[in-house]
Amino acid sequence: MATTAASIPAAPADGKLSPLRLNVMRVIYFAIAFLEGSQVVPALFVHEPTARGVIPALLSGFCLTCVLGLRYPRQMLPLLMFEMAWKYIWFFAFGLPQYLSGQLPATFGEDFPAIGFGVVIMPFVLPWGYIWRHYVKAAGDRWR
Amino acid sequence: MSASRSFWRRGDQEVSLARLYVMRAVALLAIWGLFEIVETLFVHSPMDRGVHKALIAALWLLAFLAFRYPLKMVPLLLFETVWKIIWLLAFGLPQWWSGVGSPRLSEDLWSIGAFPIVCLLVIPWNYVWRHYVTAPAERWR
Repeated sequence: MATTAASIPAAPADGKLSPLRLNVMRVIYFAIAFLEGSQVVPALFVHEPTARGVIPALLSGFCLTCVLGLRYPRQMLPLLMFEMAWKYIWFFAFGLPQYLSGQLPATFGEDFPAIGFGVVIMPFVLPWGYIWRHYVKAAGDRWR
Repeated sequence: MSASRSFWRRGDQEVSLARLYVMRAVALLAIWGLFEIVETLFVHSPMDRGVHKALIAALWLLAFLAFRYPLKMVPLLLFETVWKIIWLLAFGLPQWWSGVGSPRLSEDLWSIGAFPIVCLLVIPWNYVWRHYVTAPAERWR
């Protein structure tokens, strides 16, 4: 029994995630905060005077909030869930149909690889067992 | 009397019941208010870039979780506050002051620019302070 337990990486108890998982999540928070951040933040300072600015503000705000994920990867999990959700929604509602139809907006060449990369890796980053236990099966916050 | 007090006061809980209701109300508001953008996922121009719509649709989806678990979804409220403040500082206010702005500026000033005020009132800052600032970092090894 003891040998078996020792040879298998410690299965995290309920409410906990293994350090490996936490650090993989940290890598993603880091990539969003600093790599993606360095791409999107300049648009806040250099833009057309009449630019609407919603996309640069959304993405920059997301990058900035992800900095907290480096310290609290588990608590900031809703951000990674958001990251996966929006990329999958974009991929299936816009990217894939546009790719298949050949009608491509000017930004497609930049968006498709950047967002497609997230579509590929995010399912491996998210701790699905933890999400299932804490965001689906767990009782909701109290009502009274 | 004590029931009404426990509604407003945190007691030994993380936040007061009143706070949870207000946070849930904001989640419902998001579910209701963002739905018109979600609809456009299915009906849109073939050349639409779609990033804005996908981002908003993901927020709409997660708002359902925020209704059930307002406290666990606090990071989304923080994100909402941060991006909207960024928008105000980088786009909304400079355009408003200069008088030269996007055609949707006055609409956005309300729907985006006013929302940080709601967030600042709704977010349980004491809880955020305890869990996202002073709590020890999650383990590294």
